[in-house]
Amino acid sequence: MPKTIVTIKEPGLYTSIQDNGRTGHQHQGIPFGGVMDKESYHIANQLVDNPIDTPVLEMTLKGAIIEFDKSCQIAITGANMQPSLNNEPVGSYTTLNVQAKDILRFGQAKQGCRTYVAIRGEWKAKKWLGSFSAISQMKDHKNIPCALQAADSFSVEVFPFTEQRTYPIQKISLFSNCYVIRVISGPEFHLFHSDTLLNFFDRTFTVSTDSNRMGYRLEEKLEAYSNAVEKISSGIIPGTVQITHDGQPIILMADTQTTGGYPRLVNVIHEDIGFAAQMKPGDEVRFMLVNPE
Amino acid sequence: MKIEPFGQSAVLISFENEIDRAVHNKVIHLYERCKRHPEFTFLIPAYQSLTLGVDLNAIDLTNALQFIQQLAQEEDLSQTLRHVRKITLPVCYAPAFATDMPQVEALTQMDFKDIIQEHQTHSYRVFMLGFVAGFAYLGKLPQVLQVARKATPEKRVLAGSIGLAGLQTGIYPVDAPGGWQIIGRTPVSIFDASKDNPNFLRTGDEVSFRAISEDEFRLIEIKQEAGIYEPELEKDA
Repeated sequence: MPKTIVTIKEPGLYTSIQDNGRTGHQHQGIPFGGVMDKESYHIANQLVDNPIDTPVLEMTLKGAIIEFDKSCQIAITGANMQPSLNNEPVGSYTTLNVQAKDILRFGQAKQGCRTYVAIRGEWKAKKWLGSFSAISQMKDHKNIPCALQAADSFSVEVFPFTEQRTYPIQKISLFSNCYVIRVISGPEFHLFHSDTLLNFFDRTFTVSTDSNRMGYRLEEKLEAYSNAVEKISSGIIPGTVQITHDGQPIILMADTQTTGGYPRLVNVIHEDIGFAAQMKPGDEVRFMLVNPE
Repeated sequence: MKIEPFGQSAVLISFENEIDRAVHNKVIHLYERCKRHPEFTFLIPAYQSLTLGVDLNAIDLTNALQFIQQLAQEEDLSQTLRHVRKITLPVCYAPAFATDMPQVEALTQMDFKDIIQEHQTHSYRVFMLGFVAGFAYLGKLPQVLQVARKATPEKRVLAGSIGLAGLQTGIYPVDAPGGWQIIGRTPVSIFDASKDNPNFLRTGDEVSFRAISEDEFRLIEIKQEAGIYEPELEKDA
């Protein structure tokens, strides 16, 4: 099968290979990992007719410059980073044919935070514990995938071209600068004072710059909240919203550590985790309590 | 025992709210029972809780809660653990590795020799692997060694570092940020990414520490690189 070598000319802010991650290794303290926005991930692979669990490139806020040495098919989904191919603007949410030596270039996301690039074929890259996903907090381990740097490359065994597909424009998620995230009550919900709960659901929070694949810190602290009692550490999962001792909410995301000692106020519902993954620093977010059904 | 949904596809099982081997035994027994069932997609055993991921294609959350209840009743979760691995970890407490010893001396009002002696006297349970790549949380420390974490965490603590924090002593599996008070370092490779089970330690292990010289530290490092190091490990009947 022909093989295209994909070279990262410039990595952008944080570009990594991601797939479904490493669910099943958490008893060893290994993060779940995997794509932050699953919906955009699945659509990207569908558009190039890849198996659903094929890895993709995930870019953050500022995209990469990527060179393909052979022709192949790709699809771009998620946040709009004004993609161009050899300096000609190209569309997202559609199958694109790339020629040998083409250069795919991304700019900055105005709305949304993460952009995905699927490449049709079988990816040949570093794999650890069954997954291609880079782990953001584990650098310098030769067996473990990490974020892509300038001049890094990997190859994809290209499948024969499939027919061009376009994802219906009316079904594409619109990202804004303002999000309402639906949550259900978490294990320590009942331990919070009703004033604190009202304060949490009444107010608009701002996504802090101190946010990454491990979690989103929110800038505003809960009013009149203090908790000096350290809870005995227990399991935490992506989507858990924990409250630090001085009242700062943190939404845990894909690369979260597996255990933590802060009270777990609520959990983001599955349907909204991908949305949350598209929030960027400075965006506004509110929480809406829903019934788990 | 309390069983409750945690998010839409996980379950949290909690026992008595304390750090104690007897409570942790229940966690381990239930963990061992649950891990045989593929309906559970991941398991996070901790001090007094077990978090389980549920494969909603195989079982719905309500039935999963009942199933766990049933598994918990099939045996006496309070019984003592069998087949516990007893591990002796060589630790070098020399000043080059014990970067926070002066601080620990001040906090405990003990001499470093007594601190080292006290740290080695006890055997510790691995209560949990967490944080980054399976940081091992061991306990409980004797009261005289219980010190607060550093107010400001270090950006980088080297792999193998042994720290103190509250009731716990812990081992950094990889280089990582952290605020534990570092009193020594083990040359034993705690985390090896080339293995299917990358962590040398497992939840439920009993660990004790043995003081070694800087020379022995280097020797163990060399043996490991050559692949001839044998961990000091025995298994309970």
